[in-house]
Amino acid sequence: MKLHIQNPPHIRSRESNQTMMVDVIIATLPLYAMGVYYYGGRVLLLGLTGALASCFADILCQLAGGKIPNIRDLSAVITGLLIPLLLPASAHFSMILVAAVFAILVAKQPFGGVGQNVFNPAAAGVAFVIICWPQSAFSYPIPFERLPLAVDETVRLVNSPAYSLSLGGTPNIDLLDMLLGNVPGPMGASNILVLLTCLLFLVGRRTVNLWMSAAMFGGAAFVALLMPRLELPLLTGVAYELMSGLLVIGAVFLINDPVTSPKRKIPKLLYGFCTGALSMLFRHIGRYEESLLFALLVMNAAVWMIDLWGEHLAHTMRRKHLELAINPPVSKPAEQDVGAAQE
Amino acid sequence: MRNYPRKGILLEQNKEPGLSKEIRVLPALPVEKSRMPGEISPTPELLAPYEIVGLAKEANIVDEIDGRRLWKKLAQAARESVSGIVVDALDDEPYISSQLAPVLQYPEQLHQGLSLALRAIGASRSSIEIYRNLFDVNTRIPASIMGVKVERISGFYPAENYARRRLSRNNTLVIGACALIFLQRAVYEGLRQTSAFVTVSGDCVANPGNYEVPLGVSASRLLEAVGMITDPRRVVAGGSMTGFALTDPSVVYLSQTTRGLLAFAEEFRDMRYVCIGCGRCTEACPQGLSPYFIYKAMQHPRKRHIEMADAELCIGCGSCSYVCPAKLDLAQVIAQAAAYTKEKQGAGGEV
Repeated sequence: MKLHIQNPPHIRSRESNQTMMVDVIIATLPLYAMGVYYYGGRVLLLGLTGALASCFADILCQLAGGKIPNIRDLSAVITGLLIPLLLPASAHFSMILVAAVFAILVAKQPFGGVGQNVFNPAAAGVAFVIICWPQSAFSYPIPFERLPLAVDETVRLVNSPAYSLSLGGTPNIDLLDMLLGNVPGPMGASNILVLLTCLLFLVGRRTVNLWMSAAMFGGAAFVALLMPRLELPLLTGVAYELMSGLLVIGAVFLINDPVTSPKRKIPKLLYGFCTGALSMLFRHIGRYEESLLFALLVMNAAVWMIDLWGEHLAHTMRRKHLELAINPPVSKPAEQDVGAAQE
Repeated sequence: MRNYPRKGILLEQNKEPGLSKEIRVLPALPVEKSRMPGEISPTPELLAPYEIVGLAKEANIVDEIDGRRLWKKLAQAARESVSGIVVDALDDEPYISSQLAPVLQYPEQLHQGLSLALRAIGASRSSIEIYRNLFDVNTRIPASIMGVKVERISGFYPAENYARRRLSRNNTLVIGACALIFLQRAVYEGLRQTSAFVTVSGDCVANPGNYEVPLGVSASRLLEAVGMITDPRRVVAGGSMTGFALTDPSVVYLSQTTRGLLAFAEEFRDMRYVCIGCGRCTEACPQGLSPYFIYKAMQHPRKRHIEMADAELCIGCGSCSYVCPAKLDLAQVIAQAAAYTKEKQGAGGEV
């Protein structure tokens, strides 16, 4: 009888890194389905390109680092699948490829691979592509026009509602259409209802917490209320601001990336709130119509600080509790009793 | 007040089919009765407190929850004029039901033992504590047992730990249910404690259940007597969350505090996962520590961070290791960090 030794506990939860990542992959599938519905089969090829490119780059980097390649946790696949969702469906294949390779080669592996990266790889890759090719990254195909495999001049490309908002104009689009995703915009980011369903799924599976997403919407709405860009009824303006651009997909997928987010509740709320608020501020002062990725990357750089601050806070609270447990506060009647006894 | 801890984990209990089965003595491992010298008192209800404590001492009864001798606990409680007794039958660890099953199946013995213990320390309050989140048991747990109120402790997994700590502050003595049953046997039948209640369970045990087993039997003999479907890959003595794995079951002997013996056929595959910082351990920790932070601080030793993380407050419940999706040995790392902190503080204190 050969027995194996293992430290307690002797039972483990069934969840693993793989199941968590598979949850996120499942959550991206409806967005791809919507992409196929609006733009045709090209969308699937984009996703495949992203996933394969990032997996390949990941394996290559691990080999170069002298490790045995291990992509069982599927984090590279998620990076690759998220990149096309953040870009227009008309994006060129080379854009996806560059974004995926940049995400792995620059944003993920130099820091030490899975679990060590400071910046969200997908956000960093897409931000790089936006800076390199702003023209094609910000012109979107119209829904229900089938895209050919190779996008050329014959495809009609238009601006998104986020662009008209950034110019100070009211987008000429129904709010219901915005909810359903029937607007020109990034491939996965415009289907607000589908995205919120994905969020519900992820929260129900306990893969993500609602805290950060809620705080991010709160932060964005707070700034949008304080500094409206539109001559609209206040709440309608806020609704337009929240539903345009990458804000919702960012609140569902990007900000809930476990690696680059704080761990405790109060730091999580702070991080989400600051990301949302910063994203809205960047819309005011930035040149690009898309601000969330940059706000997220800036906040990612501050996460270690927020986390450390959270630990300090927790440490102080624990000390307070311990002191209270050892020396409970003396109540007033007890003091009177002591005085009476002395008399 | 009773709903503690607020953090922690909810576990599948897996107590069935063990709990609902009758407690049996294995034919291969008969329990030898050892009668104490002296006559059995015809009126045990009228024994003086010192006589009860003396009988508990002579019967050599050990409390299964902390391994202390019952007579010492009773004598100390009598000196400190403790006002009540709580019978511990919480059993919040999965698979283990070696306290709950005797409570449900020997209620009369428990009640008589409890009233003896109450008389021994001159107290009047008493209650029985049973865990509330037992979803998969087939037995109905009554609201009171022989007139003694049953308190259902809700809350997540390390509820037992918290219940004991709260009660120790509350001028109450906590005694394990099995010890009281053996006290009753000592006083009413004049028997020494020569056996213990042990849960034998796990996915390769043929006949899981609760057994009354003679003390000093080796773990392998017990497993053989109960019968196994396949050869186990892991054998665990104690609870499934806090017990320890055995290398050689033939040289490990059962004591009064061995609450369970588990044999598992499945083993964990090393998938070479790394920490992805999901923060589930921080959510699960009932003490409000951050196992993630301690793990990172220990990985590339950052001494100030290790000291700040208060690893010495860890109660060793293992919730962090349980929830970790990367299957890291977080509880082990925290124990190392606690040892480091203690060493550091000790050195500082001497200077």
